Amino acid sequence: MSVLRTVADWLDERTASRSSREKWLEHPVVGGGAWASAIAASVATCFAVLALTGLVLMTAYAPSPQTAWASVHYIEFVQPAGWLVRGLHYWAAQSLFVLAAVHVVHGALSGSYRKPGEIGWWLTLLVLGMAVAEGITGGLLPWDQLGWWARVVEGNIAGLAPVVGGFIAQMIAGGPELGALGLTRAFTLHVMLLPPIVGLALWGRRLASAASSATPAVGRTSTPVARTFAPTFAFSVCISAAVVLALFALVGRAHGAPLEAPADPLSDYPARPEWFLLPMFQLRKFFHGALEFWGTSLVPGAAAGYLVMLPWIDREPRSARSRALFVFAPVVAIFVGAVVLSEVARAHDAHDTHYVKARAKADALATAVVQLAMNGVPPAGPLAMMRGDPEIHGRELFDKHCASCHVLGDLGDAEKATATKLDGWGTPPWIEAMIHDPDGPQFFGRGPYKEQMPSVDTRPAAKPPGEPWTPMIKTDVEKHAVALFLASLGDEPGDPPRALDAKTRAAGDKIVTERCTSCHLYKGQGDDEGSNVAPELAGYGSIAWTRTQVANPATVATYREKALDETMKKHMPRFDTDLSPADVDVVARWTRAHARATSFAGR
Amino acid sequence: MSDDARNAGNGGTAPMGRRGALKTLAAVGGAVGCGAIAVPTVRFLVAPALGAVGGGNWIKTVAVDSLPEGEPKRVALVADHRDAWTLEKQVELGAAWILRKGAAVVAWSTVCPHLGCAVDKSGSGPGFNCPCHDSSFDADGQRLNGPSPRALDSLATRVEDGFVMVQFQRFRQGTPEKDPI
Repeated sequence: MSVLRTVADWLDERTASRSSREKWLEHPVVGGGAWASAIAASVATCFAVLALTGLVLMTAYAPSPQTAWASVHYIEFVQPAGWLVRGLHYWAAQSLFVLAAVHVVHGALSGSYRKPGEIGWWLTLLVLGMAVAEGITGGLLPWDQLGWWARVVEGNIAGLAPVVGGFIAQMIAGGPELGALGLTRAFTLHVMLLPPIVGLALWGRRLASAASSATPAVGRTSTPVARTFAPTFAFSVCISAAVVLALFALVGRAHGAPLEAPADPLSDYPARPEWFLLPMFQLRKFFHGALEFWGTSLVPGAAAGYLVMLPWIDREPRSARSRALFVFAPVVAIFVGAVVLSEVARAHDAHDTHYVKARAKADALATAVVQLAMNGVPPAGPLAMMRGDPEIHGRELFDKHCASCHVLGDLGDAEKATATKLDGWGTPPWIEAMIHDPDGPQFFGRGPYKEQMPSVDTRPAAKPPGEPWTPMIKTDVEKHAVALFLASLGDEPGDPPRALDAKTRAAGDKIVTERCTSCHLYKGQGDDEGSNVAPELAGYGSIAWTRTQVANPATVATYREKALDETMKKHMPRFDTDLSPADVDVVARWTRAHARATSFAGR
Repeated sequence: MSDDARNAGNGGTAPMGRRGALKTLAAVGGAVGCGAIAVPTVRFLVAPALGAVGGGNWIKTVAVDSLPEGEPKRVALVADHRDAWTLEKQVELGAAWILRKGAAVVAWSTVCPHLGCAVDKSGSGPGFNCPCHDSSFDADGQRLNGPSPRALDSLATRVEDGFVMVQFQRFRQGTPEKDPI
């Protein structure tokens, strides 16, 4: 103890540390009372947490389009306690917007902006503005879909400004398109430029409040009793800070911080702004054309201007009624209006099926890419990683090129499909159902092959009564054998073993060879006398067959010469002209694997 | 009495003393020093805002045979892409909606002329729709509804050796005129 005391004495002699600490603890606190200081303390706690966790995050974050997403992924999912540090940073930021807004509303309603509190009030508004600016710049840093698209739209909104709009938009984006320099600029603003402004504003607020504590506020009869900071206020400050911290830890633990798929300029992403900008997003819907810029900058501008001007608007000692009209009503209208606009935007999106579907697609992709990146991200970046992954890239290719006609699993639109539904394609249940009812809407009923294939066991409706008709397949046992045998033709070495005994195989082979080849080719043989419509059955559903069909359906290996004929309206196009051989292979393998893994639902 | 006050009292009539000369020199030196730092700093920061995409390249896309009649198809525009210090060989710069009507081929940028989201095929009708602010366009790219100030941006096309060539170009967002950047 005596050593400590000696050190403290030594320090105090040279720096007056003891007395300045006492001076700080004894500093008088005025205005607002316990609630106000609890809110202010929570805001300060948020900033402290943000500064500390931000510094820690910087030791693992790498701001470039190739590395940003990967390093955030590393922080979130690999680095020990990374999810907690990032979660604290993220949730402290979210809380800050709420607390800073509450702080402003509380200050407005309690009249803290009145002489001599004007400077403190403006600095409070500045802190709220800086919090929003930090949120906007920080949102881009993960370089994921959410942040990237929000920034593209925000940059273009800035670009709507007359004359200087284009210049400002390019200053934000770091060039004509949002790219590497846009990211490093946002990073610099976020960690180097804005934080000192926040720090100065908070410090200035304290100085201003200390200076104004000596002057009685307008409307008050006397100087309020200056209570000292310690111990009552120090206690409420510590308690509120502890509560805020505990909340961050709980929420961060439950939800982590979100990370969407890497920024992909070519995706169909349903862009939405950060939640605290949703009111502006909704406001935008009311102003179109030339009105857009003015409507969406003047309305929020007027609201901000009103808050800045409050010290002059509410200067005179007012009656309770006029105060309610000129201060209470507008302040409540601004903040309640913002909440209502946000909720309207959310409700609209929740009922927009197109949006809900696109959102679900984005979420599924995020989950898949996050999982994929657990194995590490190549130096070319996460987009290159996605394009090189057969599962993610195969799904993307199917969605872009196949799902406008086909349905498979959750891809494609069953209402608008004109080609075969591929759930269970090539499996025995699918083949068995298809040969019974080829013109069913889930098979060929909506495409050019309608009425090209007869049912193997149902009398054609067009056949006049009395005319003789023999089914191609007479019993369910035969039909089952044919389906099993045909399905086995598409098997590949890695596939699960198929329960197909020699007797069934022989029966299936016999029926296919003898009865199906009147239209179909089987191992290149068939006697359809040149109609050239029915596909080759050998290898039907195998990787090679599927790949050939995707590349060019009009070869004898699959759907034959007539497949691309003008008369076959809405026929399947060839893809070898617009996809690389590698992409054709990826989408063929993906489609085959997923068709087989998805069970045939019958409809 | 300080030197300052004495100088001030003399007004402009007295010859400039040693202190006055030093003050002027300090001011000039300071201004030169600040300028020496400010000029390169500002040039550095503003430079990226003055560049252009340098669009206008003709990019080879899909075979004209592979385009279904009357059904718009989204195709990637693949070329080399330079982003500050990074050069990516043959990557997707953007995309275009391409529509074949008989022998004619038309193309539109997928970038919404409003605020730059990716325009998708409409969920309900034959045209296009932007998922961000609900601008909608008909099957000819003309504006139907929503905040977009103009029709979809058409891109120049020509057919060469059976392939559709598209002239890649970006346009300024949010203006009624189509203004290339």
